[in-house]
Amino acid sequence: MARWTRFRRIFGPEPKEDVDEELAFHIEMRVRELVERGESPEHARERTLRRFGNYEQSRRECVEIDERLGRRMARTEYLTELRQDIGYALRMLRRAPGFTLVAVATLALGVGANSAIFSVVHGVLLQSLPYPAADRLYHVRTLYPDGTAYLHASAPDFMSVRADTRVFEQADAFTTGVYTMLDSGEPKEIRGVQVSDRLFDLLGFRVALGRGFRPDEHTPGAGGVAVLSHGFWQREFGGDRTVLQRSVRLGGASYAIVGVLAPEAELTEEAEIYMPQPFDASFNASTATRRRAEFLNVIARARPGVEAVAVDEDLRRIGTALQRQFPGTNETLTFNAIPLRTLIVGDVQTPLFVLLGAVGVVLLVACANVANLLLARASARQGELAVRAALGAGRGRLTRQLLTESLVLGLAGGAAGLAIAYWGTRALVAAQPANIPRLDRVGLNTTVVLFTLGIALLTGLAFGLLPALQATGVRLTRALREGGRGGGAGSAGHRLRATLVIAEMALAVVLLTGAGLLIRSFIELTRVDPGFRAEQGMAFRLVLQGDAYKEGADTRNRVDDLQARVRALPGVTAVAASTMLPLSGQGAMIDFRVENAPPPPPDVNQEIAIVSITPEYFHAIGTPLVRGRTFTDRDGDAAPLVALVNESAVRRWFGDRDPIGQRVNTSGRIREIVGIVRDVLQEHPGHAPAPQLFVPFAQRTTRTLRIVVRAAGDPLTLASAIRAQVRAVDPNLAITRFTPLQQLVWNSIARPRFYTSLLALFAGVALALAATGIFGVMSYAVAQRAREISIRMALGARAGDVLRMIVGRAIVLAAIGAVLGIAVALALGRVIQSQLFGVTLLDPLTLVSVLLVLSSSAAAASFLPARRAAALDPASALRDG
Amino acid sequence: MATLPGPDILKGTLDLLILKALSWGPAHGYGVARWIEYATDDALAVGEGTLYPALHRLEERGWVAASWGASDTNRRAKFYALTKQGRARLAVETENWHRYATAVFAALKAPAHE
Repeated sequence: MARWTRFRRIFGPEPKEDVDEELAFHIEMRVRELVERGESPEHARERTLRRFGNYEQSRRECVEIDERLGRRMARTEYLTELRQDIGYALRMLRRAPGFTLVAVATLALGVGANSAIFSVVHGVLLQSLPYPAADRLYHVRTLYPDGTAYLHASAPDFMSVRADTRVFEQADAFTTGVYTMLDSGEPKEIRGVQVSDRLFDLLGFRVALGRGFRPDEHTPGAGGVAVLSHGFWQREFGGDRTVLQRSVRLGGASYAIVGVLAPEAELTEEAEIYMPQPFDASFNASTATRRRAEFLNVIARARPGVEAVAVDEDLRRIGTALQRQFPGTNETLTFNAIPLRTLIVGDVQTPLFVLLGAVGVVLLVACANVANLLLARASARQGELAVRAALGAGRGRLTRQLLTESLVLGLAGGAAGLAIAYWGTRALVAAQPANIPRLDRVGLNTTVVLFTLGIALLTGLAFGLLPALQATGVRLTRALREGGRGGGAGSAGHRLRATLVIAEMALAVVLLTGAGLLIRSFIELTRVDPGFRAEQGMAFRLVLQGDAYKEGADTRNRVDDLQARVRALPGVTAVAASTMLPLSGQGAMIDFRVENAPPPPPDVNQEIAIVSITPEYFHAIGTPLVRGRTFTDRDGDAAPLVALVNESAVRRWFGDRDPIGQRVNTSGRIREIVGIVRDVLQEHPGHAPAPQLFVPFAQRTTRTLRIVVRAAGDPLTLASAIRAQVRAVDPNLAITRFTPLQQLVWNSIARPRFYTSLLALFAGVALALAATGIFGVMSYAVAQRAREISIRMALGARAGDVLRMIVGRAIVLAAIGAVLGIAVALALGRVIQSQLFGVTLLDPLTLVSVLLVLSSSAAAASFLPARRAAALDPASALRDG
Repeated sequence: MATLPGPDILKGTLDLLILKALSWGPAHGYGVARWIEYATDDALAVGEGTLYPALHRLEERGWVAASWGASDTNRRAKFYALTKQGRARLAVETENWHRYATAVFAALKAPAHE
């Protein structure tokens, strides 16, 4: 049989040549046979070819078949080898359970953090909004001369945009409000939305039951119909299909339920019930009245291919035309648009991408750590690899084998990471952190799983390649060459591992610096004086709807009655009503002018935020009066109109003049300023307070109110007593919940707190991994240098010297890493600059703390190996060495 | 070595003959051709143009295995050998052919149907 293999090809099959050779052999044999029988060579050849038939076609067929066969065999061989490699890898990993466990756990942490954060980024940022052609949807804003853009537009302006637009194919609008629903026992607050005629169509809303709104139902007085959101239908009506024969009483009016939306039909804001927006006389592009009553959220879809710049340009054109047409109301106004997606997720975009970057860094550290483990292991496996090489395994084959091991590790880490991500994501979503939009869309879906698989394989390659190349002795650099020969045991091999540790340290420092800066910012945020005292204060919302509140006097009487009743409760120290609480926004905007003042420059916004309050309001929220007086019961609806301003308003509008006694014009009504109050935070601590004008509730009565109660003890204990008083005043009033004022403070910093704690968590993980890396390298160094250390000790070095030497070396590694890391962190600083408050990138306290944390972790991580070194018995180490 | 045009070789019969040729031991394509000529007295004009693709197809199906070796004249030649599946296939095909031939013979001898 030996002769069969004598000509075996080394470099795989070559179908064309093989077939040619095979057929040539045939021809030659046949010709020889004929010649032996006495034919002339020419004749023999001619006969042979004739007998053969179609030579070319036969040859082509054979080549085709062989090529097909070759491909199949290559595939089979590859799969066989892969199966062998995987089986071998699994056996090797099982044989080293400690190593496998540490490596898989490290990777699981890195991969898990990545897929958890990626699933958030994917759900919140990457998935498009659930509307048709969502990337062409814009929210139209009213643009004031000072550059402020309000999200709301007036009805005539909306109709003007609708009529004159050249860029939008459709524009629609909605308004949200809180309604009191009276049908089901307890009065209940629900979120209602009035929609313009084609909003459902714009957003692709379908009904699951019944119908949407008819055009004639937008005629004023013709409404009286409602469509339920799917969620509200389930919650409130248990998914009852006969709901279409029922109606709901909201405030004073009754609405026949005509439809239920499909489950996926969700507005950008919470909405439980939809009603048609009445198109009254102000819904008219040519009217001049009510142009400055902005209350509509206008959403529009641009035509395909229209860029955002063109949208803004067209809105500016419309705005300019309106300025000429209606100088009285639109003199300096114009419009612009913000992509709907940006409006919803714009705020969270940067922080989420920063977090994604942070977990990416954690993964790099994890990779470096596992690479280090593999390097240490490679030297232990040098013998095994040498044997396999001697048995004929080529370098490529060995590298492939080692890489397969890494990929198997990576995949195992990925699978464990997916489990971590699953729980992590669920915990994250359940915690409802900081009002992050669209969190309900976050979960482990196909994309996230594919992403996880991808990074698991990538990490396998990343941490496996270097050790694999080194272990199989590819001559990359001098350092690698030396390490290759010594199998990671040489000083260059050690240098490589030290480099990896330095890289880990540097990466950890990047995260620590970022986290440190955010923590410092967060502390600064909590230090900002909110301008009110949150302790022992709470608030609840009151929506006064229906016939009983048609007249302002009725409303005032009820509110007075309620305040008197609550004030009489034991423990209550102050009660007040207000249209806007601290940290809940500015308040409605109103035209504003100081009488007898020089006209302000045209780019100054002639508006101020207005808030109606009852006399005890500032006492109730604990905000001091700076000068003048607050309101009293004598500032009634028939009394002279008065107002208070906050300090920001004084700075903005009055300059050097004393505001007290000045008269101001608010949308045509003249009021006298009687006092100045301290600024109160309106948005969040990072947002400076804006000018505010406070007027007596008696002189500007509204029907949606916040009642603030301050108590001697915990105000929440008064909840049921207050509920009883509210019911006594009007059994049709709903109280949804009591909010401690402290809650407002917490909510205002919830997002920074969320980002900061996550980044701190990731920085901590990176630090722990880097410290493990230092521990590994130092342990290894101690084992390698046992002989040298023993000689030193034999020559009189004391245990303390050895301890200092080892720990010192670790700190040197950490210090190099720290310097590199801080440099990188500062270079990357721009990305978190916008998240910082009250600290600069070069915050000395942060940098010093980072250095301290890092060097103490390095010292702690190297202490154990150092102590082992110090405890070496010189005699035995010298003998064994 | 007759060159008389014989009857067209029936589809599938060539495969059967190749398998049979190889049942005596590994052989190169020329050897297979020679055995078929000898065994059929060259009555079935097997053009080598169809023989070789048939051989390769049998290799692709896994019924024969090919390897390169030296011929009697010490030339590089491609040798074919029956695999285990090939041997099993040969048994099945032989049996099939017998049944087929018997049926056809029976039919040719049968009288007219009543």
